[in-house]
Order: sequence, then C-alpha cells, then structure tokens
Amino acid sequence: MAIVYIAFGTAFGWVLSRSGAADYDFIQKMFLFESFQLYGIIGTAVVVTAPGLWFLKRRGRTLTGAPLRVSPKPRHPGNIWGGILFGAGWSITGMCPGPILVNVGEGKLYAVAALAGVLVGAALFGVLYERLSGPLQLPALRVGTGDG
Amino acid sequence: MLILHDLAPLHWAVAGAAIGVITLLLLFSTNQRLGISTGFENICALVVHARYFQRSEITGSHGWRLPFLGGLVLGGVFSAIAGGGWQPFWDLGMFDTVIGWGPAGKLAWMFGGGLLIGFGTRMAGGCTSGHGIFGLSNLERASLESTLAFMAAGIVTTNLIYRVWGGI
Repeated sequence: MAIVYIAFGTAFGWVLSRSGAADYDFIQKMFLFESFQLYGIIGTAVVVTAPGLWFLKRRGRTLTGAPLRVSPKPRHPGNIWGGILFGAGWSITGMCPGPILVNVGEGKLYAVAALAGVLVGAALFGVLYERLSGPLQLPALRVGTGDG
Repeated sequence: MLILHDLAPLHWAVAGAAIGVITLLLLFSTNQRLGISTGFENICALVVHARYFQRSEITGSHGWRLPFLGGLVLGGVFSAIAGGGWQPFWDLGMFDTVIGWGPAGKLAWMFGGGLLIGFGTRMAGGCTSGHGIFGLSNLERASLESTLAFMAAGIVTTNLIYRVWGGI
C-alpha cells in the first residue's frame, strides 16, 4: 500500500509545485491581495471536493466496499489560537505544511530550515500538551486536537 | 511566474480541480481523510517519547502518512527535474528584492516561521489541507474558524513584513 500513498503524495506535490501554492511570492501576493491565484486554487478545490464528498458519504462505501470513514475534527479554542500562529508562520515562510516538503524536494535550501522548525514546533506542542490542554481547553489527550 | 525555473503556473481552476480530485480519490480508494500536518506528529513519534504522540491515531497511521509525506517531497523533485533540472538554490523572490538577507538570515527566518507552523498547526488540529480543503468541504465549524484565523493572521503578518517593514 505504501506505493499508493507515495503516488498520491507525488501527484499532490506536483500540483502544489506547479500551481504557485509552494511558491513564496504567490503566497505573499495572496496575503497582499495582489494575486487571485491561491484564492482561486483553494476555492476551486473546495467547490470540487464538497459535492464529491457529499456524494461519497451518501454512497457510504470505499472502492473496496469498506464503510467510508469521515470523522469531523473536534472543535476547541486551539482551532483559532493555533490557526493564528500557523497563519503567521505561513506568511513568514511562504509555505504551509505540504509545500514545505515540496520546496525541500524542489531543491530550495532554506525550506530545510523551515522543515526543521516545523518538526521542533510539533515536538514542543506534543511534549507540552498536558500542560496546555487545561488553559486552552483542548480535547482529551487520546482524542487530540484534530488529525489532518 | 514561479521562482522554480521561472515557470508559468498552472491555471488556478486546473490546479484547484486537481487538488479536489486527489482529495476525493484518496478518500474513495484508501479511506483516508486528506491532511498533512498530522504527519509531522508521525515523524516526531519516531524520535520523541511524548504521550501525545503515542495515541492510536498516530501510531496507527504511520503506514499511510509517512509515505504520503515522502511523496510530497518526490513531487517537488520530479517537478524540478521536468521543469529544467534539479539543483539546490537559495532564490526567494520578493524576499530577496525587498528584505535582502543572505543564506544564514534566510535559514534563521525559515526556522522561526517553521516553529510557528509546527506548533500552530498541531494546536489548531489541521492546516490548509485538513481544515482549509477537507474540513471546509465537509462543512465543519472547527475548520471554518481555523481557516478564518490562519488567513487573517497571514494577511496581517505579510502586510506588516512588506508594507510596514519593507515599505513597498
């Protein structure tokens, strides 16, 4: 199965690489309202995914006939506080999580530092979870903040 | 034009539709909900022994998240090769023209931004893919709130960097 996931990742990575989603300037111009490109990409992706998802959930089965599994993410204050931190980081680096990996693949040397930062940041969050979950009203540890 | 080999980007409608189709196919064929930032926890779980990384959602998903993340890197490699050849480079578009820091400064800048992304996406429970594309498409309120938060923070930060500090 690993090869299937590698293939999905490669296809997704190719699109991110060639669309501007993994391009520092396109991200800045989105946030400066100077380019419609990224708004168009994210908007179109949602417009295509939403009805398809509705249909797949109604059908209720995967390709192999297994029950379809779509669990919504838990709602908690971290959605917003974490979103604010992430948005600042997206602006600073010009990359969101997928494009960090794509940019490393493209040969952008500075993206390796972004990846290192991301891993240290995620590790810090995991280590501090039990201390943060009270003040931030995060879900129980076994549930987590939401996966995806 | 892209920083990568000065290539012309795909039309936004083509790129957006392709992302939507990939998201749907991933769910339909493998029963997986698109999401990238959780994969960073899978990587952390290999080396950091925090209880948070030992929950079943992480230990049970190495088999798909790790190869998927590896595929993203490969997608970038293939894109560079096909677009004019793979070679390491430092070019950073308008950061070079407006801010103008060299390699050491860029590494520090990117590491700092990366910290915010790693910590923030895991606190938010998702990123542009899991909240912005899948969650919004699934009409989830947590995803709507998180997406509005990261878009707003991105707009404020970039405007501070380029319009206030950079003076463009």
